[in-house]
Amino acid sequence: MNDFEYRAPASVSEAVALLVEKGERARVLAGGTDLIVQLRGGRFTLDRMVDVKGVPELNQLRYDAAEGLVVGAAVPCYRIYEDELVAAHYPALVDAARIIGGIQIQGRASLGGNLCNASPSGDSIGALIALEATAVIAGPGETRSVPVEQFCTAPGRSVLGPGELLVALRLPPPKPRSGAHYLRFIPRYEMDIAIVSAGVAAVLSPDMSSFVSARVALGAVAPTPLFVTEAGAALAGKPISEESIALAAEAARQAARPINDMRGTVEQRRHLAAVLTTRALRGAVARAKGEQVNGH
Amino acid sequence: MTTTYRSVHQRQPRLEGAAKVTGGTVYTADLRLHRMVHAKALRAPYAHALIKRLDVSKARAYPGVVGVFTAADLPQHLPRDGANRLHTVLADKEVMYYGQPVAAVVADEASVAEEALDLIEVEYQELPAVLDILDALKQDAPPVRHSMAGIDRSELAAHTTLAAADEQTTEKTPPNVTHRMVWSRGDVERAFKEADVVVERSFRASWTHQGYIEPMSGIVDCDRNGDYTVWTSTQGDFTTREGLAKVLGVPETKVRVNFVEMGGGFGAKIQPFGAVLPAIIARILRRPVKYIFSRSEDLRSADPSSQAYIETKLAAKKDGAFTAFKARAVYDSGSFPGSPLMAGANLLGAYYKFPNLEIEGLEVITNRVSQGALRAPGTPQATFAIESTVDIMAKELGMDPLELRIKNAVTQGDLMPNGRAFSKIGLVEVLQRFKETSFWKNRNGKPSANGKKVGVGFAVGGWLGGGSPSSASVELNADGTVSVMVGANDVTGTNTSFAQIVSEALGLPIERINVKTGDTSLAPYAGVSAGSKTLRTVGLSVQRAAQDALDQMFKIVSERLECSSEDLESVDGQIRVKGSPEKAITFELLGTMSTGFGSPTPVILGRGNVGTPAAAPGFTIQGAKVEVDPETGEVNILDAVCVQDVGFAINPLSVEGQIQGGVAQSLGLGFSEEMVWDDKGVLRNPTLLDYRIPTALDLPRIETALVEVPVEGAGPYGAKGVGEPPIAAGAAALVNAVSDAVGARVYTLPATSERILAALGKLPG
Ligand SMILES: Cc1cc2nc3c(=O)[nH]c(=O)nc-3n(C[C@H](O)[C@H](O)[C@H](O)COP(=O)(O)OP(=O)(O)OC[C@H]3O[C@@H](n4cnc5c(N)ncnc54)[C@H](O)[C@@H]3O)c2cc1C
Repeated sequence: MNDFEYRAPASVSEAVALLVEKGERARVLAGGTDLIVQLRGGRFTLDRMVDVKGVPELNQLRYDAAEGLVVGAAVPCYRIYEDELVAAHYPALVDAARIIGGIQIQGRASLGGNLCNASPSGDSIGALIALEATAVIAGPGETRSVPVEQFCTAPGRSVLGPGELLVALRLPPPKPRSGAHYLRFIPRYEMDIAIVSAGVAAVLSPDMSSFVSARVALGAVAPTPLFVTEAGAALAGKPISEESIALAAEAARQAARPINDMRGTVEQRRHLAAVLTTRALRGAVARAKGEQVNGH
Repeated sequence: MTTTYRSVHQRQPRLEGAAKVTGGTVYTADLRLHRMVHAKALRAPYAHALIKRLDVSKARAYPGVVGVFTAADLPQHLPRDGANRLHTVLADKEVMYYGQPVAAVVADEASVAEEALDLIEVEYQELPAVLDILDALKQDAPPVRHSMAGIDRSELAAHTTLAAADEQTTEKTPPNVTHRMVWSRGDVERAFKEADVVVERSFRASWTHQGYIEPMSGIVDCDRNGDYTVWTSTQGDFTTREGLAKVLGVPETKVRVNFVEMGGGFGAKIQPFGAVLPAIIARILRRPVKYIFSRSEDLRSADPSSQAYIETKLAAKKDGAFTAFKARAVYDSGSFPGSPLMAGANLLGAYYKFPNLEIEGLEVITNRVSQGALRAPGTPQATFAIESTVDIMAKELGMDPLELRIKNAVTQGDLMPNGRAFSKIGLVEVLQRFKETSFWKNRNGKPSANGKKVGVGFAVGGWLGGGSPSSASVELNADGTVSVMVGANDVTGTNTSFAQIVSEALGLPIERINVKTGDTSLAPYAGVSAGSKTLRTVGLSVQRAAQDALDQMFKIVSERLECSSEDLESVDGQIRVKGSPEKAITFELLGTMSTGFGSPTPVILGRGNVGTPAAAPGFTIQGAKVEVDPETGEVNILDAVCVQDVGFAINPLSVEGQIQGGVAQSLGLGFSEEMVWDDKGVLRNPTLLDYRIPTALDLPRIETALVEVPVEGAGPYGAKGVGEPPIAAGAAALVNAVSDAVGARVYTLPATSERILAALGKLPG
């Protein structure tokens, strides 16, 4: 590991300037629970680490019934699941924030880092996609917004260009009669990486008998977290029933294009994609109806 | 009449425990010596290859590098034994396993040595690798390696009292079969014909890692007299001395191994893998050399536990009496011979009475890292095979699986597969006691809910236990305290138990006793701490040494008080006349007398030394209650129990700790732990993220129940070895529980969620 410079800017523009100056040789540091592990493991070398934990915009956590939720990119998981408004309006986000690593990791790990790390199994990403989150990106050019489902482009790669930085995630206010749920399958009780995960959101009809719309996202079954529009389409207008859910689950199974690795096989992952989609859908429906649903 | 004890049989917290759990204990990696340098190994990226070119010139020139060594740079006069991994320090022209050290860089800083590794240029020519255990059995398989001579079986000897004389080798064995043996009695084929039910199955168990927290590590210095001083993470200071002396070609008097605390070994640290490379380099450089494996190096290149393939065939009569057992057990030894085949094959047929029996055992070598011991080596694999088979038999017979086991369980006089008869054992007592555990009483407690299925399973396990000669000394100090010295590495709290034994023998409070493991130039000899033998063998020596010291004190006191030794007793730190406690001499006074300037009284120095004591096989039954999600294959372990015959629990607290640790490890073998290689023999999961040791959250509270069937002379107060039996049966119990829950059976360990789904027919292909 070579020596590198540590900088802690106080504003977004300062952070951008520090990044632009070093290009590929600089990286953003949020919680560091991916970055430092990867650096020590020799995955890359750096000249500069830009710690964004002191930038106010990246630390905001704000809910407003009209605007929805703004989660600063560096807000650690524990702040998310300890926030009562988030728990009340975005329980699926809490499902994800609660299972990333363990207590110690959650004290540091951010959703911004989870997304920018662009792992196919990143636990917040499926929940963010289901919840229609957009990524607010600052850089040398204009500030721009990208839907989270378009953010990751390959394992470890994202739409962020040179000098760009994720500022915040914006989640629209939850629609009436909607619910969302995030689930993952890991071989151990904790401290493991998802073999498959599913993030699901559903909006129900006024009489609560059918699906108006649904969003389904899968993790760890493709090079990037997968937004399965076919699964959502299979549900739109369908009655709330096990048959409808089975159609969506089948669509999820079909859409999954996983690999074999030491964590799981193609067959197992496709099977689990259907199982988890089913279960997350049931959870989302229950939440839409105002029932309590536990996370993992 | 029940004897009352003051010190032994009492729950005594580990004397060194507080320092350990508060981070105060010093381990090898913490030590720094004057002029010390750091060694790092370059490890082969292939499972089997020829080294065509090896250029270290750039690494040698790197600033901070003190030396770079290849096989060609090592002293050529050192004894070489190609079949013994200890002697194969660096790959010599041929790489035999992924992760094998090819070159070593020594530098002022470990990080510099690591950087210089990248500058070494190696050209490999890949050779076909033999990886699968069944491929390795083939007559036309490519040879795993060139040198095959001089099979080293010393490790097996450390674990069991089986004699190598049981071996039979046939002529035309396939190239990678390094050992074959057959044990038989009666007429199995006839018994199969006459049987009412026959069950025939095959099983596999994967490679697993011992999962110790402290990686392999060693520091070795060599001074200008050619005297070596060693600090290393080992289970045996004396075996380390022996191994190093052999590899270095020097007398054992030239090697002094210091005792350092070890952060777990479980069998992996019997051979001094952490000390050989630094010893040889220290000899060249005449400087202390430190060599610490990273976690990933340890997972790739230490000595994990071997995979096995086992076929079983079991015959029974309608009433449940077993009439014949036939099995074929194949153990993979990795790239060097020395697997636990004999121990595994013997235990495979040792739990039950089989009038007719035939067991064929084979050891194969493959292009994988060489295997080492893991707590009751070979036994979890064998137990999985036999105990799954017995469960299936119970189902076929429509009999209660516990009653079936009780009916056929071995007792004193019954034969093991190797032809030896069991001495006094407690298997039946253990099975009876099982019915009184809260596990058993609550086995129907939680109904299946939410689509999940609850099941209960159990399995018998055991370990014959090893033994070796040992010695100890007990000395009275000037202030009336007592110093005990042993040569045994304390890896399980044995020094605490020794203190209890001395306390009991001398009638002296434990606070006034100090037990130390001395270095090999001072301590009385003890064998490696393995084979569940340390407490029972060294403990006997300690007990005798304490008695010897007491006899010496009684002699002095009887002369002083003008009475006979028989009239004396030692209570609460004083030796007094029975019935007249005012006539007493304190340990303090005796200490002063026996050390004082000009005193005529000799020093009180008790000595104990014993040969290998009587064998003391320890049996268990383990139970697991699981909740299985049949849609995901996820297993949640709700409850676990282990009933074990421990002979006599010198320290029940530590015995229960050993049992709980063993059960935890066995459940890991049951559902999560597995080394995963790709089809080229490259380890895919060399991290603790993907090599899945269960976390505390994955395990339930583990109930323990101690049965005490003491065996006279086997250990102090009839104690038996307790460390290894509790790992034997947990995996089998868990798989039986899964089968009870979902009705489908997994035939490969570990029973991962994926294998359970496959057994349920939920995965295509
Ligand atoms: C023990 C352990 C357990 C873990 N368990 C889980 C788990 O269960 N589930 C899971 O999904 N992950 C897990 N992780 C991975 C990691 O904790 C998460 O991905 C976490 O959310 C990363 O956040 P961070 O703030 O630590 O990111 P960092 O490590 O600081 O950053 C991650 C990456 O994103 C970049 N980055 C960070 N912030 C920004 C920004 N604002 N703009 C641009 N780029 C940015 C960094 O340069 C880096 O490349 C685990 C890690 C460890 C060490």
